[in-house]
Amino acid sequence: MLLERIFTTDFFFSVLRITAPILFATLGAVIGEKAGISNIGLEGIMMISALFGSLTAYWTGSWATGVLLALLVGVIVALLMGFFSFNLKTDIILTGVAVNMIGSGGTLFLVKVITQATEGSALASTTSLITKNLQVPAVNIPLLKDIPILGDILSGHSVLTYLAFFLVFITWVLLYKTPLGLNIRSVGENPNAAASVGVSVLRVKYIAIGLSGAMAGLGGAYMSMYYAMGWSLDMVAGRGFIALAAQAMGAGEPFGSMVAALIFGLAQALGIKVSSLGADSNLVSPIPYLVTILGLVVFALVGRSRAKQRHSAAALQAAAAK
Amino acid sequence: MNKKQSMLFGLVRGAAAILIALLVTTLLIFICADTPDGASFGAAFSAKLTQTGGALRQLLIGPAFRSNGSISTKNLSDVLASMIPTIFTGLATCVMFSANQFNLGAEGGIMLGAFAGALGAIYLDLPAGILPVVCVLIAAAAVGAMMLIPAVLKAKLGVSEMVNSLMLNYVVMYLIKYLLNTHLADKSKGQVQSYPFQADAAIPQLIDNGSKLSWGFIVALVFVVLTTLFMYRTRWGYAIRMIGINQDFAMYSGMKVGGIVILSQVLGGVLAGMGGGIEMLGRYTAFSWSALPGYGWTGITVAILAGNNPAFVPFAAFFMAYLDKGCNLMSTYSGVPAQLIDIIQALIFLFFAAEQFLSRYRQHLVVRNTQEELAQKAAQAEGSVK
Repeated sequence: MLLERIFTTDFFFSVLRITAPILFATLGAVIGEKAGISNIGLEGIMMISALFGSLTAYWTGSWATGVLLALLVGVIVALLMGFFSFNLKTDIILTGVAVNMIGSGGTLFLVKVITQATEGSALASTTSLITKNLQVPAVNIPLLKDIPILGDILSGHSVLTYLAFFLVFITWVLLYKTPLGLNIRSVGENPNAAASVGVSVLRVKYIAIGLSGAMAGLGGAYMSMYYAMGWSLDMVAGRGFIALAAQAMGAGEPFGSMVAALIFGLAQALGIKVSSLGADSNLVSPIPYLVTILGLVVFALVGRSRAKQRHSAAALQAAAAK
Repeated sequence: MNKKQSMLFGLVRGAAAILIALLVTTLLIFICADTPDGASFGAAFSAKLTQTGGALRQLLIGPAFRSNGSISTKNLSDVLASMIPTIFTGLATCVMFSANQFNLGAEGGIMLGAFAGALGAIYLDLPAGILPVVCVLIAAAAVGAMMLIPAVLKAKLGVSEMVNSLMLNYVVMYLIKYLLNTHLADKSKGQVQSYPFQADAAIPQLIDNGSKLSWGFIVALVFVVLTTLFMYRTRWGYAIRMIGINQDFAMYSGMKVGGIVILSQVLGGVLAGMGGGIEMLGRYTAFSWSALPGYGWTGITVAILAGNNPAFVPFAAFFMAYLDKGCNLMSTYSGVPAQLIDIIQALIFLFFAAEQFLSRYRQHLVVRNTQEELAQKAAQAEGSVK
């Protein structure tokens, strides 16, 4: 049976593994968008963090320092984006484009300078630097790992994978159960109203973009220190952009966006699986991107018909009231 | 501020942006420069300085002059030739951004255009004079059609054209790679490439010195003029700029916003596709791109430098092409990697797009100007009283 060969426990394990980096970036997009910031620089931030994370892990010999530094770099780059777009009034989308430029060509420049790699331009990478003991470690969860099937799927992931899914909950708490979250949402919804009740819009926006960068930084660390062994050119491959789509499909809510991210993870895992069964990889690689477009369309259509229903329901009520 | 002053302010601001970018560049080059082993601090410092000077010379002067001071026509024609695709993507971005449509699909668009043009050049059986024209038109139509996807989805369903166009870039790239690796591959060649183009399909060269400066350059300049006229002298161009300035106003004054949103993006696609087709037929003899070429992103920088005004696109494209060539020369002659261009580009881009950059200086100018005017008026008033 073909289906049995595809949908193994390994497959579902890989779905979670593939979803995690998209999920980190998606949470970054969610927090940003709640504060009214379209952070399309997530892609570039992930690339830059991935690079510095892997380099730091190599220099210090500790994966944890690498992950922390990646997070820090993510925050710094995001705050710089904030400076340009909030203080100097560069359009946030253009700021993001600039960060993405640095993320693709600029990181290659840095790699060449830092590691003194001079061989063919496309070959410079840090793949030789991250060894097995520098990889973010995987953990087996006691009890859970002994449950058949479920244990094989849910246990044995990296620390960061669990963190990604845990952060969905944290993000929800942050946005809906804390004063800061209330401020972030109010700034996103109506900055003038927020300012009129004494919220410092600028400060809240900086915090939001910084958190967004922290998420992308973790995503970058995941890419270069767990998903792949080290940094290589264009390794993030549009995950930062897919995250924006996941955010839109999840209507900007942490849990909804997580489901959307899982759909993309599923599409990508399916692609990898199908190509390992002999299909052309160039034909299955675009699947996640196509699913993204389709997902956005379906989401928009559903949102539209719901709005219509609400509209007609309201009209009916109004008629009944008369 | 009067018109002359605000132009002057624009110039000062642009120059300051470029200067900051160059300062950072100098710093980066200085950091990259090698130090001789075991040299004292002073010796190492001066060695670094000389190297930085040499690298900067290559970057800034290399594309125009040889080391003996004479003008280097080869380098300059290289620069002009590499402007061809970025003029087109720059124009495409100008049109789309003018309508406030952040469609970032020029990158995939230029690759699809190049591919569609290449297909025409390989398989169409047409007489010599017509073939390249038809190929470029096919390229333009293909990308125009591609842009219908994000455009219609935006206009009808309000789906972000930015995300969709970014996704399309990847879809286009992988599908082209698939076709190139399977059905269209020339298996007799060592590398992955298509069958060679028919000789008749090539766009003739302007100067035959290996720079690949083809007649496409002239076509690009013609399209600069056409796009400028379209944007500033036609009703559709006005509508495109209008929905960019104030979409609600445009809607209430009776413009069909949806149609214009689609028009601007399809036009952008047509321009990008044309650029792809011309670049392919003017420079190559077979299609072998295996990744997105990056012209779309440079096109965005060009459009920003040009302030979304098509008329300034060639100057911005020249500037970027010149810096790019400079970076390449620099990496050949010194150890600084050519990818420095991406950092320079991002910096210039950021400061150029920054509305509030140097706003205090602007404020200062306005205040001084007003004070002078007031003083003048007071003097006049005094004169008339007497």
